[in-house]
Amino acid sequence: MAVTSYSGAEQYNFDIVKKFAVMSLVWAVVGMFVGVYIASELAWPFLNFDSPYFSFGRFRPVHTTSVIFGFGGSALFATSYYVVQRTCQTRLMSDGMASFTFWGWMAIIVLADISYVLGYTQAREYAEMEWPIDLLIEVVWVAYLILFVGTIMRRKQPHIYVANWFYLAFILATALLHTFNNLAMPIDLLSMKSYSLFSGVQDAMTQWWYGHNAVGFFLTAAFLGMMYYFVPKQAGRPIYSYRLSIVHFWALGFMYMWVGAHHLHWTALPDWTSSLAAAFSILLLMPSWGGMINGIMTLSGAWDKLRTDPIMRFMIVALSFYGMSTFEGPMMSLKEVNALSHYTDWTIGHVHSGALGWVAMITFGSLYHMMPKLWDTKIYSQKLIEWHFWLATVGIILYIVAMWISGITQGLMWRTFDEFGNLKFSFAESVAAMMPFYAMRAIGGMFFLAGTVLMTFNMFMTIRQGKRENAILEAKLTAKLANA
Amino acid sequence: MEWLLWFSKPENTKPLALIIFFFTFVGIVAYVYGSKKRSEKLESYRDIPFLDETPGEKGDTKDTQ
Amino acid sequence: MNFNFKHEWIETNIGLMAVLTMLAISVGGLVEIAPLFFIDKTIEKVEGVRPYTPLEQRGRDIYTREGCYLCHSQMIRPFRDEKLRYGHYSLAAESQYDHPFQWGSKRTGPDLARVGAKYSNEWHVQHLVAPRSMVPESVMPNYPWLLSTPLDISDTAARMKALRKVGVPYSLTQAEFDANVVKFGETVARQLHIPDAQKNLLEQANFGNYDGDRSGISELDALIAYLQVLGTMVDFSKYTDDAFVKYR
Repeated sequence: MAVTSYSGAEQYNFDIVKKFAVMSLVWAVVGMFVGVYIASELAWPFLNFDSPYFSFGRFRPVHTTSVIFGFGGSALFATSYYVVQRTCQTRLMSDGMASFTFWGWMAIIVLADISYVLGYTQAREYAEMEWPIDLLIEVVWVAYLILFVGTIMRRKQPHIYVANWFYLAFILATALLHTFNNLAMPIDLLSMKSYSLFSGVQDAMTQWWYGHNAVGFFLTAAFLGMMYYFVPKQAGRPIYSYRLSIVHFWALGFMYMWVGAHHLHWTALPDWTSSLAAAFSILLLMPSWGGMINGIMTLSGAWDKLRTDPIMRFMIVALSFYGMSTFEGPMMSLKEVNALSHYTDWTIGHVHSGALGWVAMITFGSLYHMMPKLWDTKIYSQKLIEWHFWLATVGIILYIVAMWISGITQGLMWRTFDEFGNLKFSFAESVAAMMPFYAMRAIGGMFFLAGTVLMTFNMFMTIRQGKRENAILEAKLTAKLANA
Repeated sequence: MEWLLWFSKPENTKPLALIIFFFTFVGIVAYVYGSKKRSEKLESYRDIPFLDETPGEKGDTKDTQ
Repeated sequence: MNFNFKHEWIETNIGLMAVLTMLAISVGGLVEIAPLFFIDKTIEKVEGVRPYTPLEQRGRDIYTREGCYLCHSQMIRPFRDEKLRYGHYSLAAESQYDHPFQWGSKRTGPDLARVGAKYSNEWHVQHLVAPRSMVPESVMPNYPWLLSTPLDISDTAARMKALRKVGVPYSLTQAEFDANVVKFGETVARQLHIPDAQKNLLEQANFGNYDGDRSGISELDALIAYLQVLGTMVDFSKYTDDAFVKYR
């Protein structure tokens, strides 16, 4: 009865995993399309069309929210529900709660995107949702926490597998960050508009404590949880070192929360805060690379898989980008480097080497592994996975190279003096110098988006094929029963 | 309650915190890598992701090494 | 020695694990954020910084609504090139009434912390409606709707009340008004009095006529009023160059 053991609903709740997995792809396409669009607006400003609804300032949060919380968030819900069930060998505590988190989370993303376009925003990066949506997030998140912890409590295994630790840290940290960063006073209970509880320097510190740890826990710890399950599964070999994963977990969880202030070097924030953050940023390199090594070494002795298995290639490239951007990050947190890189496109490039290179690639790898299993079939086309891999890789490289050049050029142009000690370039000249790189970045984004569209098509066909196979199987089964 | 004031001075609490966190870290490392028996037990947990596989499952399963 | 502690207690007890994880992740934020609320050195004592007038605050609301912070910073760093380009480095005190802060993280366009009084109102109108007519290299979107949309002033007082609740010294009572007179002088204190919010807003808009159109008060009136006050509150000629170093 191997065929029915996974899709058959008795043992695990895979229905919720399927829903989130599909929506993760939908949000990937939406969010990345908007990303390409706003990148194009910077290269070709006529695309703003003199309309409030398409203008860069209102559209940019639509991009960030759709990719981080829509694509990334849905992928995390999907994989965490999958991993926690399979490593605890138990069904989710409550199907109703799982369903609630799905509809709640989808409502949040849709409402957030619509509200930005209409001009409702808290004007805090990555926390732009206004207060009613924040409250909804709070409720859904608590349900998620209860469901996740409740499921772990029902486990058949005495030991809690390390992937679940990372997911747990992500859920707890996100709850903490979200709550404190969104404290605000609405102007009226019937109005969407609110003012943040903090002001100036305290507000800045709170926001970047949130902002960086959204990266640290939402986009890193959680995806490491994904890595600790799916890389071993896809490789067919257990994780390189379980002991290293324990040290990795505690060190990463402890250190990440200190580093947010490196976003505020040379600002009116007291010096000691940002210096402390810089010191921790450097230290953070160690657990980050510990995790990367743990993932990559899992493949040691089976390197040939990289040649034959495109899914594995997604995962290993993801880990390589993780290693690269966790090296670049500490470097950019050095005050001298930051003086040049801050406020420039270099930061945008760094974020995307993490977001596209690490987060998106590990997600693609994991979804390619998981989705055929959910629908109990084989992937529709291996060839398309190959194509996706190369489109995505070329896209990322175009993107980050463009941003490196433009960022460093910007930074240098701003601080160049002529022989009389005056500024050599006007700001407008630095903007003009960016034009080719903004175009190049938009094209890189198009490559990446094209890959994502291919994947979505591939998965759509896979699901269709899985459904058809199951229908045939069931028909045979009924026929057999009828004959007996 | 006078002794509590000692904690209110950053020049006292900073090294104290450093010591606490350092030893916590050393403790974790020592615990994890300290004993051979424990190491073996911890490493046995590596196999948890493969425990619920059924023989007929499609896709990738654990390599026989 | 009988070493009784077992990491397994943690590994096999989800509650304990959650508590310890919470502890580990809370330390950093506590150490770095909490002191900022108690150390009075964080914010400099300077003269001149005041809450925004009702019109300026409404302009600020439009600034946040349109997402200006995504391309413009309001935080000048203490470097020679930034001093030449933008002016004196920003002080914490200058954003102490900013809910939320708008320091920004990216300069696709220039810093705006001291853009006030640098350009004429007419320049701003033309630039906001059609940026490339003033700066050909610009990639800024056109904002024509700001000029054609009348400013909604119905909830001005409600907005100021909300800001008052989070600590901005707008006055509701006579006692609060008197305190503001002592703190900011009478002219400013009048602007901060919530019962007169709408009247003050109309007066400032009609007198300033920021968008050059007398037929009504547009969102552009408010936005330009806000832009024109940015960075102008502190008179830096009154302070020596290193007056603020000790706060950093």
